[in-house]
Amino acid sequence: MSIVLDFNGKNLAKSKTMDLHYLPAKIDGDGEANVEQYFNNYTREATECGNGILTNSLRGYPLVGEQLKVPEQYRGLVLQETEKSINKSIDRQLRLTGVFEEFTYWNYDKVPSNGDAYRQALLMADVGQALTQHISEQDLEAEIARNKENTKEHA
Amino acid sequence: MSKKATRASKPKPDPEAEGSSKKSTASALKKVLFVSKELLQKDADDRRLRLERFYHPGQGKDALFVTHPDGQMMELLEYAEPRRSWLLNSEVCSNGRIYMTSPVDPTLLALHHLRKHCAQRAMSLDNIAVEENSTSRLLNEFIFPETLKCVADVKSSGDQRFYKYNQERTLAWLALKTRHVANILKEKQVHCGHSAQSQNFVRSEKLVAENACKEMDYTRMACDIVGRYLDADLHDLLIHYLHIPSEIQAIVEEKTAAQKRKSKAGKDEGSDSKKIKLNDSDAAAKLKSSGLLDSDGDPNASITSPTQGPLKERSLTAKEKALAKGAKGTKSIASFFKVK
Repeated sequence: MSIVLDFNGKNLAKSKTMDLHYLPAKIDGDGEANVEQYFNNYTREATECGNGILTNSLRGYPLVGEQLKVPEQYRGLVLQETEKSINKSIDRQLRLTGVFEEFTYWNYDKVPSNGDAYRQALLMADVGQALTQHISEQDLEAEIARNKENTKEHA
Repeated sequence: MSKKATRASKPKPDPEAEGSSKKSTASALKKVLFVSKELLQKDADDRRLRLERFYHPGQGKDALFVTHPDGQMMELLEYAEPRRSWLLNSEVCSNGRIYMTSPVDPTLLALHHLRKHCAQRAMSLDNIAVEENSTSRLLNEFIFPETLKCVADVKSSGDQRFYKYNQERTLAWLALKTRHVANILKEKQVHCGHSAQSQNFVRSEKLVAENACKEMDYTRMACDIVGRYLDADLHDLLIHYLHIPSEIQAIVEEKTAAQKRKSKAGKDEGSDSKKIKLNDSDAAAKLKSSGLLDSDGDPNASITSPTQGPLKERSLTAKEKALAKGAKGTKSIASFFKVK
């Protein structure tokens, strides 16, 4: 059983850009909320904390955030599963809801920094890249030879 | 004032919102993904990406991978913090995860199957694990037969190619991978030591130089990262191959090094205190030189060695006393964090 990401190049090109906020809170529930009126309305720039730093609050808890770009090699997508079929033999499908290039990253009462787990997680993409780097036949032969020499020395 | 008024009115529209949320929860949850541009289709491309499960040797079970109809594949990583959620336009999304695609070398996934099936005899890819759909799909559609040369001996007869697992080549290949990863870690200045370190902590230049020589820490971390894609026993072989001492051993070594430094410092301090208080041993030396004592070495040793021990301790207790004096009347830090 596999899951189909049900969109093609045309859908991608036509899709709407969405406005995203990454909140530092667990919310039990999904659904409509008047984000524009009750959240975006209160976003302020806090230049005293640094360039591009924003502040807001959620239920009285202070938030400090910043506008972040989706990492260069990626595109941000929002997908939605349409109907979960009871019939398990049919592939599940995820439809494209929207795309985004930027989103607002919020921290609870802490200026976003390289100490944030999110930023550290992004390093994994570079590590993955290094991991898939092609290794040439010559390098491999050289390494085998080198290792043989080493083991000889140890012996 | 106006702020307060709107806040106060906030609960009022809630019931409505709840009503509409019931409608939207009927449809399934939304998911936020970072998908590599390499995978995404160009304008006219009408093909679809898929999420498929393949056996992940590091996890010992199936994991999700994004597959491209061209035969490209990437791992689907899940970034999850304990308390995160999304606001998407005007919707709350309780699933605060980010699903990220990360490049993966399918050869690493194939290694598990090669070791399992092709350790003793050479087999062609379409004969391995015929009964497991996902495995044979992996081996026949996503593996580049070219890179399999790095981990296996290839024998061809006519059109058919047969592969036999080759441990020597595999380990050399993995070692090179580890080196690539270690280089990227260095480049990104990822902290790889075994002790935790605050990001706010600014290292002095001298320490940076010291860190630079911790090559082994980088190699160990890189080896762990590569090991996430390997069977546990193969990971152990790789550790052995790279001559990586175990972390515990490294900690012990570092501790002894630190102790040496400390004891050195302690001695310096000790010599200071000796200047003031070392009259006894001076006296002992005088006694010895004057020949008043027996020429036996033993009593001498018993005079000098016990005096040195207690001396050091005494200076420490004086320090501790001063500390205790200073700490009198102050609360312990923990008392600030108690639940009220």
